[in-house]
Amino acid sequence: MDFDFSDDQQQLRDAVRKWVDKGYSFERRRAIVKAGGFSREAFGEIAELGLCGLYVPEQYDGMGMGPVEGMVVMEELGRGMVLEPLNQSLIAAAVLSGYAPDAIKAAWLPRIASGTALVVLAHQERAARYQLNVCAATATQTANGVTLTGVKSLVPAGDQADAFLVPATLESKLALFLVERSASGVSAQGYGTQDGSRAAEVTLQNAPASLVTLEGLAALEHAVDIGIAATCAEAVGVMDKTLALTAEYMNMRKQFGVAISSFQALRHRAADMKMQLELARSMSYYASLKLGAPAPERRAAMARAKYQLGNSMRFVGQQSVQLHGGIGVTDEYIGSHYFKKLTQLEMTFGDSLHHLGEVSARMQDTAGVFA
Amino acid sequence: MDLAFTPQEQQFRADIRAWVGENLPADISHKVHNAMRLSRDDMQRWGKILGKKGWLGHAWPKSFGGPGWNSVQKHLFEEECALAGAPRVLPFGPVMVAPVIMAFGNAAQQQRFLPGIASGEVWWSQGYSEPGSGSDLASVKTRAERRGNNYIVNGQKAWTTLGQYGEWIFCLVRTSNEGKPQTGISFLLIDMKSPGVTVRPTVLLDGEPEVNEVFFDDVEVPVENLIGEENKGWTYAKHLLSHERTNIADVNRSKRELERLKRIAKLEGVDSDTRFRDEIAKLEVDVVALEMLVLRVLAAEKSGKNPLDIAALLKIRGSEIQQRYSELMMLAAGPFALPLIREAMEAGWQGNFPGGGNWCAPLASTYFNFRKTTIYGGSNEVQRNIVAQTVLG
Repeated sequence: MDFDFSDDQQQLRDAVRKWVDKGYSFERRRAIVKAGGFSREAFGEIAELGLCGLYVPEQYDGMGMGPVEGMVVMEELGRGMVLEPLNQSLIAAAVLSGYAPDAIKAAWLPRIASGTALVVLAHQERAARYQLNVCAATATQTANGVTLTGVKSLVPAGDQADAFLVPATLESKLALFLVERSASGVSAQGYGTQDGSRAAEVTLQNAPASLVTLEGLAALEHAVDIGIAATCAEAVGVMDKTLALTAEYMNMRKQFGVAISSFQALRHRAADMKMQLELARSMSYYASLKLGAPAPERRAAMARAKYQLGNSMRFVGQQSVQLHGGIGVTDEYIGSHYFKKLTQLEMTFGDSLHHLGEVSARMQDTAGVFA
Repeated sequence: MDLAFTPQEQQFRADIRAWVGENLPADISHKVHNAMRLSRDDMQRWGKILGKKGWLGHAWPKSFGGPGWNSVQKHLFEEECALAGAPRVLPFGPVMVAPVIMAFGNAAQQQRFLPGIASGEVWWSQGYSEPGSGSDLASVKTRAERRGNNYIVNGQKAWTTLGQYGEWIFCLVRTSNEGKPQTGISFLLIDMKSPGVTVRPTVLLDGEPEVNEVFFDDVEVPVENLIGEENKGWTYAKHLLSHERTNIADVNRSKRELERLKRIAKLEGVDSDTRFRDEIAKLEVDVVALEMLVLRVLAAEKSGKNPLDIAALLKIRGSEIQQRYSELMMLAAGPFALPLIREAMEAGWQGNFPGGGNWCAPLASTYFNFRKTTIYGGSNEVQRNIVAQTVLG
């Protein structure tokens, strides 16, 4: 058992942090939000750091790294509230490497690694909420191949992405497909989301698709679990920064002639935030270290982790706003954007109530990390 | 970074499990698994079994006869004991006073006191809190005045856990009123059979005399029982409290008790009630998160890199979890947690508990008793002050 980061992992963290601090200022972020919530240029800079290829095997020009490296990178991107969805490149790389036929791997993995292709998961449907086995989109086998028909919502940077990983029902069984945005019958209507990032409603009308795998549910669950671990790590970075900002403000802000950090009621609130942050960090480690476990164990672990993270995010976010007072509810102040980021992350890949249900349903007679 | 224990650690765990399986008396583990009343003999019997093996002081360094285990090995040992249903080793001797004697006592004191602690022969009690000194421990008033080769001790200690069995007590006593309150405190070992020592039980809200008041009336204590230097006791006490906090999180016992909660929920049929089941699920996540927090601290201790200053978090969370499982157990039994039948908490009771569920007998008592967990060992509010200090300065 070991929770230290290797020197290489520390260097990776330092490199990402340096880019976030120097290259992704709050002003730049604000400009990107204003321009729609996604910058291909910024995404290219992330790719130049090699991050898009983190989970791409070396034979396909990637770095072939694992969940701990993914966690380190996502924590740092979280600290800067980076809008460009690197987690989608991690998901796509892992899912295609694990499930796709060689031709798709060869065609897409090098492009994902270089950042020239942004491939995103397009699984959310209106009636599904957070259930992965609910899918109205259908796949039809035609003489010229498979076509998909359906509507997918909240597709990350969906009108900017180059291709989608799309679950659809083929002969009453969920399968996973790759659809290019430029294909016929594909339309993407983009919009901003609450945290400033970009999403799209993607409509597929007899759109030509490539089969990734017939084991659609297994692949989708795996994809979402990678997304959960990445979200947990990202959230730790966001919360870390949120608590630091809050502490800084409490020591600076004076009322009744003294710094508000001298009031015990507020100090205890800060202590409770620290508690939630450290529980969250612990469970983020747990999520990343369980990503390689067999599916049932992995799924149970992700539900536990996301439940903890969701609760921690809500607490840290809400209390940060409260402890800031009036400034905390202004758009001008950076802290309010961290709160919105945390709120959106709680509702990404399953909110706390959903995951409580998952934990409850999967509960065994045993207890603990290794149960 | 790796969540798995090494093959050597897994072998270590297997060895411990086998030994505990062979040596833990079945009547004792039966009582522990069912929260029945443990006698003085039960507690001391297990302590002596560990002592004989050299494991009562399992955290002790080799130079003092301990096994020399690292933090992970210690944790695995404690976990295997807890899961097997071993009684919690009373910390006062081996966990609390022994490290102080090792670090600050002289060779004669070490030779005199450590063997009896290591073997479990001598029952130690803690003399810290006083009626006027709870969270503000530095305000202790029990006086020790030097007279020839003795200290003459006068005053009163409070909340002394199981002090009715105590043979020796380590005390914080005031030897000076000069300067800050912290600088006038000394650390004294007192034979409880000394004339002038009176122990009076305090019955707690569960009806049990778990703690005591200890009165000192002109008690003569030889100066050779002073640990370290006069007026330096506060430093030694802080050393001791840092040991107590990690011990107090007790995540291993919480894992065992969460399993028991699930068994009780099944017996009561509430495991299929969504509202109740979800409450257990929340606790399950709380326990996993606490265990991860504990493992992080242990791993940091083992590797020596990145020391984590989160001991205060462990105490807060650990105690909250203990209260929650005891609360849920009581709520699981519902109205059948309400009959107060003390004999039903004894092993081998032949009576019929109202409604027939004998497991219900101790649930409310444990719930009442566990209100102590967020108060003792530095109240959770004091712990939050410590945590806030790390966040805000």
